[in-house]
Amino acid sequence: MTTGPAVEVTGLTKVFEKGRRTVWQRLRREPDKRSKFVAVNGIDLRVERGEIFGVLGPNGAGKTTTLRMLATLLEPTSGEVRVLGIDVRKDPRQIRANLGAMLSGERSLYWKLTARENLEYFAALYHVPPKETTARIDAALVAVKLTDRADDYVERYSTGMRQRLALARALLPDPPLVILDEPTVGLDPQSARDLRDRVRELKRQGRTVLLTTHYMEEADQLCDRIAIIDHGEIVALDTPAALKRRIRAEEVVSLEIGMTGEDAPMLARLANSAVIARSERHNGTLAVTAHCASARDFVPAAFDAARSEGATIQHVEVVPVSLEDVFISLTGRALRE
Amino acid sequence: MNTGYLAGDLRALRAAGLMSLRQIRRYPTNLFGTIFWPVLLPAVWVLMGQAYSGGGDPEALNAFASRAGTTGIALFVFIGYLMYMWLSALLWGPGTALRQEQIRGSLEAVFLTPVSRLVPLFGPTLTNIVWIVADLFVMGLAAWLLFGVVLPLQGVVLAFAITLVGVPAMYAMGALFGAGVLRFGEIGPAVQFTRGVLSMLCGITFPIAMLPGWAQATAVAMPPTHIVDGMRNALLRSASPGDLVPTAAALIGLAIVFGALAVVVFRWLEASARRTGMLGRY
Repeated sequence: MTTGPAVEVTGLTKVFEKGRRTVWQRLRREPDKRSKFVAVNGIDLRVERGEIFGVLGPNGAGKTTTLRMLATLLEPTSGEVRVLGIDVRKDPRQIRANLGAMLSGERSLYWKLTARENLEYFAALYHVPPKETTARIDAALVAVKLTDRADDYVERYSTGMRQRLALARALLPDPPLVILDEPTVGLDPQSARDLRDRVRELKRQGRTVLLTTHYMEEADQLCDRIAIIDHGEIVALDTPAALKRRIRAEEVVSLEIGMTGEDAPMLARLANSAVIARSERHNGTLAVTAHCASARDFVPAAFDAARSEGATIQHVEVVPVSLEDVFISLTGRALRE
Repeated sequence: MNTGYLAGDLRALRAAGLMSLRQIRRYPTNLFGTIFWPVLLPAVWVLMGQAYSGGGDPEALNAFASRAGTTGIALFVFIGYLMYMWLSALLWGPGTALRQEQIRGSLEAVFLTPVSRLVPLFGPTLTNIVWIVADLFVMGLAAWLLFGVVLPLQGVVLAFAITLVGVPAMYAMGALFGAGVLRFGEIGPAVQFTRGVLSMLCGITFPIAMLPGWAQATAVAMPPTHIVDGMRNALLRSASPGDLVPTAAALIGLAIVFGALAVVVFRWLEASARRTGMLGRY
């Protein structure tokens, strides 16, 4: 295995065609009228060895498509992809032999088999040498804390346990690189916290972890660096702290303003003392998210502005800057939208 | 081919067969079908054939023998149905194995490993060989108990040998349908149509001499025709091993043709699935 970055991506693009082109249309050589959907649009990425790298973005942003191309499940339309120094087009099998991936979570297991039987089967698929199989399976079960339930059928597991078993399966080839797609989606808070601990342990073991998530807190807590992706493009890439510094605010203030008049004059007044990241009107309430240097200075100014416009401030909340605010400032939308 | 990969793939093939057996064992009621279908399905046709031939009328039996090469209607039909059951299992088998993986969500997990794509295609269906032996045993027992037909030992050995020679060609046919799953998802109607056509062409319940000339010519290009003919030669016409060499040669030739076709089609459709993202959809 070569040294260098764990993942190196240049100009990666994936275009899907919408609809079908029938055999009849092909035989008649009719022009291809299918519309095209650009899922990933020329992204550049470099993941260093030993780091936890997060790809953060809303649903449909292109996160999973990117991961599937790195994992050789999907063929890129264009661009260069090297995983562990290997070109995905030239030797995909070699990449798969050194890659641990958890892409479809609990559904990817055989529920009528026990955890150990699942791992035995996948150990064979990963070409684990027979003499090492038992030790690898035991190590994987220990790593995800499932040893005591190893001989239970997977159908009797909770969702969190199945996710952990899927992670154990990804560890069977003893991979230097682990790819996780939304690893904590659908988990209760305790199970999610438990899985995040397992991911930190992977880093301590010297592995590189590349994960996608749409949970900002998860990305913030886990990742050394984060790429924020939207509409198939990377809109920012840096450490969580550096990303938060980008919006040039120390605090974020959420206001709910009861008012009957137009939004624009109110927003213009607020903009004199803060950056208005987001505003939304629901009947008689205007919800505003403002980025400011000091809430202590901004909040009284906001009350003055409301009084001048004949409005009343119904709710004020001051929170530290989060990655959600970074995403809003970069895209004008919330992650959940 | 990299020998390291080959050794690993062979171990994975065994593991896939074992995994499939384990899952079958967890639904034991499925085994019930292994006992009654090989008896009930052919028995209906044997009784019908006996009724149409006047319950053993020598003139009618001679007329049947002139086309089928034997007067043993019961064993003729039982052998045909053995082929039919195997044909069904193999046409459905690889495709169904991939389809179930696709619906369950485990197909991508399997395709994320370095194992050859042929392992998930064929591994789970290796158990078919166990079933074909079980069917052969149950049918032999039923033919003896219900119709008084005793299978000759040499014939049984030769029939089994012909079955083994036919395995690659049959699996290659199955692979063609399995490949379709990767690109199109559901292939049930195509399998049903093909199974129906092959049942008619390959002489499952009647001699292919009954077919028009063009259909007989088509039947010769189909592996099941040769397997069923070889088994009937071995069990009904007292063929020697030497008599079955042309049948074995035809099956090996068809295995090469169908095998090459299956590899080309599988690779093409897998590449298409990787391009369109069909692997993860269903």
